Amino acid sequence: MLGTMIKKQLMEIFRGYFYDAKKNKARSKGATILLIVLFALLMFGLLGGMFYAMASSLCGPLYAFGLDWLYFALTGLVALFLGIFGGVFNTFTGLYLAKDNDLLLSMPIPVRTIVAARLVTVYLMGLLYSGIVIIPAVIVYWTTVRPGAAQIVGGILIVLLVSAIVLVLTCLLGYGVARLSVKLKNKSYFTTIIALLGVGLYYFFYFKATELIQDFLNNLTVYAEKVEKNLGFMKTFGQVGTGEWVPMAVSVAAVFALCAVTWIILLKSFTKIATASNSGTKAVYKEKTAKMQSLSRALGRKEMNRFTASANYMLNTGLPLLFVLVAAGALFIKGREIMPVLESVFGGVPGLIPVLLIGMLCGLSAMTDPVVPSVSLEGKSLWILQSLPVDPWEILKAKMLLQLKITVPVLLLAAVGAGYAIQADPLEWLFLILIPLLSAVLYAAFGLMLGLKFVNLTWTNEIYPIKQSLSVLVYMLLGMAYGAAVIGLYFLGGIGLGPELYLTIVTAVTALLAFLLLLWLKKKGAARFAEL
Amino acid sequence: MLRIEHLTKKYGGKTAVDDISLHIAPGEIYGFIGHNGAGKTTTLKSAVGILDFDEGEIFIDGVSVRNDPLEAKRRLAYIPDNPDLYDFMSGIKYLNFIADVFGVSAAARQERIRELAERFKLTADLAQPIASYSHGMKQKLALISAFLHEPRLILMDEPFVGLDPTASHLLKQMMRELCDRGGAIFFSTHVLEVAEKLCDKVAIIKNGRLIRSGTMEEVKGDDSLEEVFLELEEK
Repeated sequence: MLGTMIKKQLMEIFRGYFYDAKKNKARSKGATILLIVLFALLMFGLLGGMFYAMASSLCGPLYAFGLDWLYFALTGLVALFLGIFGGVFNTFTGLYLAKDNDLLLSMPIPVRTIVAARLVTVYLMGLLYSGIVIIPAVIVYWTTVRPGAAQIVGGILIVLLVSAIVLVLTCLLGYGVARLSVKLKNKSYFTTIIALLGVGLYYFFYFKATELIQDFLNNLTVYAEKVEKNLGFMKTFGQVGTGEWVPMAVSVAAVFALCAVTWIILLKSFTKIATASNSGTKAVYKEKTAKMQSLSRALGRKEMNRFTASANYMLNTGLPLLFVLVAAGALFIKGREIMPVLESVFGGVPGLIPVLLIGMLCGLSAMTDPVVPSVSLEGKSLWILQSLPVDPWEILKAKMLLQLKITVPVLLLAAVGAGYAIQADPLEWLFLILIPLLSAVLYAAFGLMLGLKFVNLTWTNEIYPIKQSLSVLVYMLLGMAYGAAVIGLYFLGGIGLGPELYLTIVTAVTALLAFLLLLWLKKKGAARFAEL
Repeated sequence: MLRIEHLTKKYGGKTAVDDISLHIAPGEIYGFIGHNGAGKTTTLKSAVGILDFDEGEIFIDGVSVRNDPLEAKRRLAYIPDNPDLYDFMSGIKYLNFIADVFGVSAAARQERIRELAERFKLTADLAQPIASYSHGMKQKLALISAFLHEPRLILMDEPFVGLDPTASHLLKQMMRELCDRGGAIFFSTHVLEVAEKLCDKVAIIKNGRLIRSGTMEEVKGDDSLEEVFLELEEK
């Protein structure tokens, strides 16, 4: 039974890799392998590589001082943080909000089997996120110390223990969110604010990382003493990675006990929370005259309603805007101070700085993607739009406009910040504003095309189309690649053309691509939507 | 009001609906019965313009669904077998959305929402999110939204499923009222007693083909509709 349930869960998560929704048939083995390789490259090549570099800078000095336990305690902590950050939202929706909870509970399946199967996917997600940090850390350690059997066992064990602790903590946090959400009225906003606070903290530490690591390396023994004195369990935990047998046994026992307690809590509360109705205060209906809206406005409001009703949707697709906003603020406040630094580094390449800023703005805007899952999110209610007297093109426009409504103001602010920072001349102002705006249109159209091509209307949890679909991955990779290409191509010929002509060409190409995609959407995209 | 001419719809190699022709005139309640998978939903979805079809023509009030789908859709309302509405909206937001799409004026919608919600006893729940509605409440909301823009034709797929007896009785009454005003209803059902009592005409579909249609008397004669249906199914 458990095997069947796990198979169902995995099929749901990885459906996009094996099944082509457009052609309504299974993908070829080659296509599946290619998609998996692409995903692995992104996760382990790009992100894993980043943490490999961090581990490399820490491992040598710590090992030299005989503080390799501290190395594992630190990297383990980072892994825990990333694992929890990546998994906590999935846990709540995956455990308690799955649409097939009622169906499964009505079948002769023990609750523990349902919970266990759900936990397997939560665990895999935690393993994925924490593994990006802790696996490179273990590899770096092994290459540094020439490990014996104890270190090899310890290395494997610490990966498993970290992922188990991630599972425990995400489950307990998810449980807390679930308990709160039963009582809260505006839970999507509440969840979003809490998550934003978490993200704020995360990036505060992230951007301070180099400074913190340097300070840490300069005062290794002092910090080691403090940790050993006040947080003894961290030493025990760190010693797992270094291959100490007793700490390994103690840590395994402790994590096992934690898992058991979590299991009991989840098992006891699962049915009650999963079947709880929204028992918050009932909203009282007061009749009032609603203003008549135009069709496009009504469709736009519907898209915005969907966006703001789901914390998952807002956070996973709109969160990167926060980075653009921070970048805009930084450009306004520190831009003029940063400029001399940029001048000293890139000043030798004529006209590079505006190109660099434009490319970065384009790349940043590609990280916001509410349009990509918007078609899939219609799900089983697709019949409404299809049976109404609405031109599919109007529907597609409303979906793109949602993305533009939330990205353009922030992008404009960042563009103005950039112009202010470099004290742009009129032509540079024009390009700084026009190219990111055109790229925002291009991305909205591109995202929608992907959403239509890789549509999934049969999801049981909205997180799958929002976060784990192939279209989202392709959108982000190609979107950021476009921003990088704007910068890269300047070196490969743009310098010879001069920045004015080069940016004119970039403007024209971006406008042309956006136009072609819009044309495709109006003709074929609209027809495809009607046929879904 | 609704004219279906030689409708054929295939899914890949499988013919779901095979050369069906039907005519639903103003003032008629037309029942559509058949076994599971017979092609009822496919016919209804084709008539509404949700599904494209391979052969034939469908006209709503003389407007071709294939050539002018938007104009055809303006004249009808559709209720599917499962009312999957926008869970992220409240009931009133959903009704306002539908009213906006059909261009119902502010005054008219206010009056109609008040009246329809009162009749279906849903007024107190209109501010609640649809996600918190039961199946029956969703069905009531779908029905209110269907009647909201005063369509001339309503197509319904199993409309009585999930409704309590009071709402079920009210729906039958409203169906008759619409037809008395010159509108028409085309609906599928498995409840043959309801079809027998309510419908002016009935069509029986089997494996995608229309096997009998006409006035209730023509179809069932002196037998009950259930007897006729079972007899035809066994052939």
